[in-house]
Amino acid sequence: MRLFVSGLRKLSRRLATWVTFGLLAGLLVLILVATGATYEQAGDAPGAVGRRALLTFPGAYDSVLAFIVGLGGLLAVVYGAAVAGSEWTWGTLKNAVARGESRSRYVIVTFAAVAAVVLVGLAVTFAIGVGSAVVGSNLACISTAGLSDSATLGALPERLARTGFAIVEEGALGFAIATLFRSQLAGIGAGIALYFGEQFAGLFLPDIMQWLPFDAATAVLGEQAGIGGPGGGGIEVTALDPNTALVVVAAWLIGAIVVSALFTERAEIGG
Amino acid sequence: MTDGLALATRGLRKSYGTRMALDGLDLSVPEGVVYGFLGPNGAGKTTTMRLLTGLIHPDAGSIELLGRPFGRSDRHRLFEIGALVETPAFYPYLSGRANLVELASSGAHATRARIEELLELVGLRDRAGDAVSRYSLGMKQRLGIAASLLSDPTLLLLDEPANGLDPAGIVAMRDTLRHLASTGKTVFVSSHILSEVQQLADMVGIISAGRLVREGSIQSLLKSEGVVRVHVAATEALAARDILAALAGADAVEVDEPMAAWLTVRLDPKRAGEVTQALAERGIYLSGLEAGSDLESLFLQLTGGAPSSHEGTFVGLGGNGSSGANDQDAATSAAAEEAS
Repeated sequence: MRLFVSGLRKLSRRLATWVTFGLLAGLLVLILVATGATYEQAGDAPGAVGRRALLTFPGAYDSVLAFIVGLGGLLAVVYGAAVAGSEWTWGTLKNAVARGESRSRYVIVTFAAVAAVVLVGLAVTFAIGVGSAVVGSNLACISTAGLSDSATLGALPERLARTGFAIVEEGALGFAIATLFRSQLAGIGAGIALYFGEQFAGLFLPDIMQWLPFDAATAVLGEQAGIGGPGGGGIEVTALDPNTALVVVAAWLIGAIVVSALFTERAEIGG
Repeated sequence: MTDGLALATRGLRKSYGTRMALDGLDLSVPEGVVYGFLGPNGAGKTTTMRLLTGLIHPDAGSIELLGRPFGRSDRHRLFEIGALVETPAFYPYLSGRANLVELASSGAHATRARIEELLELVGLRDRAGDAVSRYSLGMKQRLGIAASLLSDPTLLLLDEPANGLDPAGIVAMRDTLRHLASTGKTVFVSSHILSEVQQLADMVGIISAGRLVREGSIQSLLKSEGVVRVHVAATEALAARDILAALAGADAVEVDEPMAAWLTVRLDPKRAGEVTQALAERGIYLSGLEAGSDLESLFLQLTGGAPSSHEGTFVGLGGNGSSGANDQDAATSAAAEEAS
């Protein structure tokens, strides 16, 4: 437990944590408020229906979640890679191992701390996103009556949990990649490449793409990513049904953690 | 295998690809001593440190720590061991104090009081709240030493601990390590700063090309490896050689080339008087005499004064690396800079 608490302390003091969530929340606020502020001026220009849907509750809840899974997924990959890679780059993993700490336990607990921070970040970002959507709606003079839609609010905990699960899986992928590369920079680079590479894979392997980690994460919410996520770019891809996607995401998540732990357990740790 | 030994290795082998880093290393470090582990760059010192701390695993051979075998599944043995391996590593965005607090969360437990005590010991109390990224190399090194002492270890493994320390810091570190040894703890220090080890260690092991080439107490090694050098008139050099051969044995006398007037006798320096007397009795009077037994001479003699072939050497302006101690100093300085 003290290792987990230590992991949380380390992450909470780390600039990358605040920059990552600041970026996600900042973009969310910017998009939603800017959309609301320019809604009247844009009039019937193309995309007006989409802009209205973005700011109209209860659909706005899903828009915010889709944004978090989309762009938040990319940031989760980067964040997971940054945390895992820095343990190798800075040599701090070496310190723990030389003190007799279990390698696999250290990796798993470090990831658990990342997951906890990501989940807290998700909750805060979601709250900020909903608040921004309300502000945007008011600016656009769109009714916020759907804000308290009971059916949506009832389903919200499950949808938040699914989003959290998907984001944690994406963070785990970054974490595993950086562990395999033993490098913060290489891990971040490779994680981003994988994220975008998966979208390109849809051009050639549309049937396989739905099983790949980022698209499966998107499918967990039961729809294509609304803004900022994979599955865009005009590529028509069949999505998994949400429950199948959940199983696939779980498999990727567990696989990523197991690979990280096994690799670290067997690795020769140098400088 | 090892009663009374804090650390022992037998037939330890480790290779990286085709390069053999350790080739059957046998170390025997008694309890309660400061043990200096010496070797040129690339000799296998850091590989040994990594093996002793479980960072890497041997291809063959065995390790015993504190009288018990140490293998892949024996990580708990490291709870009684403190280590500083290579350059000290910390979270740069955390303060020195926070780094120690977080490090104490892994492995053996250490209290906040212990952390404050160590910050005081290494002279970082006033800067303990600063981010490590703002520390100098010497401060990081001191924090690394504090980190190695976190769990009040019975066996301390330090890799080049004097790197980056100022003279006062080196003296303080030496005093601290001597004090730890006086309380029954064992200190294993790898270094290439020979004078430092000579002042600090009770025992030394000298490694070259992955093998231990000499091990023993400083006194016994220096006594057995002492050298007396005499300068005589060039015309008397051969006669002097015969006289000295009779005194110390034919194998112990060398005429230095190309300076034929210098003769080197491998002999306990305390017997320098016998050398002068023997030569004077035969009418040969010395115009110069050097008697000494320093670790540097021994080190150069045993290791050939050169690092392992895969690391190359700093040859200096002379270009051939044959001028002995000066070149070794230069190589040592270069290596220290590289490490920093």
